[in-house]
Amino acid sequence: MLPQLLVSGVANGMLYALIALSMTLVYRATTVLNFGHGDMAMAGAYAGLVFLGFGLPFVVAVPLALLLLFVLGFLVQRFLLRRIMQGPHLALATMALAVGYALRGVARLRWGNQVLNLPRPYPAGAFSIGSVVITTDAVVMCGSVLVLLGVLLLLFRASPLGRTIRAVFQTERGAALVGINVPLLHGMMWGAGAALGAAGGILLAMVVPLTPDMGEWVLVRGFAAMTLGGFGSLPGAVVGGVLLGVAEEVLGFYLNTVFINITAYVVTILVLMVRPRGLFGRRALIRV
Amino acid sequence: MAALLELSEVTVQFGGVVAVDRVSLTLDPGEIMALIGPNGAGKTTLFNAIAGNVPVTGGKICFRGREIQNLPVHGIAGCGIRRTFQNGGLFPDLSVIENVLVGLHTAVASRFFGLVLGGVGARRSEREATVRVRALLDQVRLAAIADRPARGLSGGQQRMVEIVRAVAGLPPVLLLDEPAVGLAPPVRAELANLVRRLARENGIGVLLIEHAIELVMRVADRVIVLSEGSKVADGAPEAVRADHAVLEAYLGHG
Amino acid sequence: MAEVQTVSRRVFWLVPLALLPLPLLLNPYQLFVAELVLMYVPVGVGFNVVVGNLGLFAFSNVAYFGIGAYVSGILMARFGLPWWLSVLPAGLAGALAGLITSIPALRGVRLFYLAIMTLAFGELMRWVYIRWEPLTGGSMGMSVPEPTLFGWPLDGARKFYVLLALAVAVVTTTDRLLASRFGRAFMAIRGNEIAAAAMGIPTGRFIVAGFAWGGFVVSIGGTMYAALIGHLSPDSFNLTELVLEFAIIMVGGLGSLLGSVLGAALLTTLPQFFMSLPGSEELAFGLLIILVILFLPRGLASLLAQLHPIFQDRYLRE
Repeated sequence: MLPQLLVSGVANGMLYALIALSMTLVYRATTVLNFGHGDMAMAGAYAGLVFLGFGLPFVVAVPLALLLLFVLGFLVQRFLLRRIMQGPHLALATMALAVGYALRGVARLRWGNQVLNLPRPYPAGAFSIGSVVITTDAVVMCGSVLVLLGVLLLLFRASPLGRTIRAVFQTERGAALVGINVPLLHGMMWGAGAALGAAGGILLAMVVPLTPDMGEWVLVRGFAAMTLGGFGSLPGAVVGGVLLGVAEEVLGFYLNTVFINITAYVVTILVLMVRPRGLFGRRALIRV
Repeated sequence: MAALLELSEVTVQFGGVVAVDRVSLTLDPGEIMALIGPNGAGKTTLFNAIAGNVPVTGGKICFRGREIQNLPVHGIAGCGIRRTFQNGGLFPDLSVIENVLVGLHTAVASRFFGLVLGGVGARRSEREATVRVRALLDQVRLAAIADRPARGLSGGQQRMVEIVRAVAGLPPVLLLDEPAVGLAPPVRAELANLVRRLARENGIGVLLIEHAIELVMRVADRVIVLSEGSKVADGAPEAVRADHAVLEAYLGHG
Repeated sequence: MAEVQTVSRRVFWLVPLALLPLPLLLNPYQLFVAELVLMYVPVGVGFNVVVGNLGLFAFSNVAYFGIGAYVSGILMARFGLPWWLSVLPAGLAGALAGLITSIPALRGVRLFYLAIMTLAFGELMRWVYIRWEPLTGGSMGMSVPEPTLFGWPLDGARKFYVLLALAVAVVTTTDRLLASRFGRAFMAIRGNEIAAAAMGIPTGRFIVAGFAWGGFVVSIGGTMYAALIGHLSPDSFNLTELVLEFAIIMVGGLGSLLGSVLGAALLTTLPQFFMSLPGSEELAFGLLIILVILFLPRGLASLLAQLHPIFQDRYLRE
């Protein structure tokens, strides 16, 4: 049974990794934790649905949806968050939360509580290797996330843009001094975070029902993966996501099915109590 | 009788760095002792050690003969050792009078259930504290700004309020961390008078970190010079001033 | 000066007095909405003590609310207690939950970390309701018997007056607490913990006290929920509920008692106009919070404070 659990756990975990990674990008660039991130993922999935509804093929509809969410993320940073950047932390977090909440309202206004699905652009099915059943969903999930991670890594490590971003991560004042347009970059990172989150939302909506409330589920798992991996750590977000996915499956099977639902909460609480910097956090970002 | 505040061989280490190195001193009631020395000499660290904000790694700190170096910060404050901070020590969202009332926290006897149930005793002790602080603010000519939030005050006002807050309960020991920084000369004179009055009239033992050397000379009974964590001179202000080597080395210019 | 203040603040007693004729003036539905407002007063007040006054981002408020409702409901439905006898135990259970949720804060967990952790605690409680079926009825929820007060059925005007009395009690006791060294200690902790400790404040003990009081008061709101709604279901205590409660204190004014009350009044009545259009409420709330943060960062309470000095709340902040 264990190999089977590992396979499905890793598949889910890759999705969590993507969500956590996109939240970490935003957090590292702007020190704002996006409490509306789950809703942005949800909005991305609905955007995909809309573009597909126009009769566009999948390979066009999805990039369009990501682009739309990029613009949304950018605008949110530019017109809402930037104005209160110097304000209290609580205001920033609340602003992000409120944006997400408004998005949820828009989705519910348009689609109600209808249960929808993004049609898969590939045949749903499964094959087995030995006793382990592998669904095409799992393959697509892992494959897409791996491709996205690869592209990100390349951008990050080997492009001038990546160097700029890393400079801003290191020290904003320093980056500004050498002529980097930090505010613009903040906006871009919000856009990129939202687009990546949307990619996660689209992947998710192909395998589970799409509802306006999807964001909550996404947000909680993103938080848990970030916490487990270590807040602000990019590799930590990925490892944390995968571990969380596996833990949900394993604990859910061996202990009690409720753990499929509560592992994320339990992990969050335990990690913050026992080892606040998680697996890869460089320092405990906790004020005494 | 034990001294008011006695430090013996106090050492503070951060990892391998010795910030305060076997410093001993004795503070008596009504005495004003100035702590001077170049930046990084360990003055503020010594303050933090006395107040309990950093752990003491060696030696003893005694208040009226009782060892206090292992007490929590609020416990040391509760003994009657109060301090000011170099900057930002006030509570910005509280008004001046509320800030000073916080200084009287341990002196107000109201209890949780007494307050919630509207007990007479709890209300009386709250009211008495308020009246007392109003009178105090009157005395130090801060009554006009009593109800203003601390965040909007000028630098000089903030410092005065912080000192008044620290001494509101007439603590036996007062630690002042660079109180004159950024103050205009007339305000400095006022500050010097206040400190002297607190020591002479109320018998408060004052330990003062100060760079403004003329203020030190005017108010201090004794001057201790720290350098690289160690005490290098200790004596009357005139004697230390005369000790040219000390001034040259640790104040740069005399 | 101090005397003037206490006298002028007594004017606020006119507010509950003015509300007394409401049962005669409102139709049953409107009266129900008014009772909902009364229920959200303690919910907002308790939340605001922790987030606004102590300044700690603890988002476990819905957990206290749910615990209050469930303890009250279980005592009534499973143990046959009358409603009024369930109020205090439910409040104490909420205080205990507050105490438990203060542990991470005591260990130095702050900011987002505390927010996420307490959020997780709140969601975890929802799974306790779902899984503890024999007591809670699981995900289907449980029905609560008709509330009674000293043997009389608690309905109509009587219910309104009882809830009004509870809300007023919560506001007055919290006001006394906030006006005392407790309130000042909370604000000192929010402003500068190190300086607070240097004033002799045992910060840990006061953090626990703030959380416990918050939990207690919010749970009282939970018992009012049990009496008002009559049916408890885990889904009523989810993140959507948290956003509503958070909006109450954000829109009302963080740290302000008056703000909590104003927020409860506005944000409870507002959704009644959106009921027919699912989603419009969320959109309106989201936009409202955005607008408040941008243009009225100190909430509705600050607006009132500009009208007349009597509304100047002690600890209003951004």
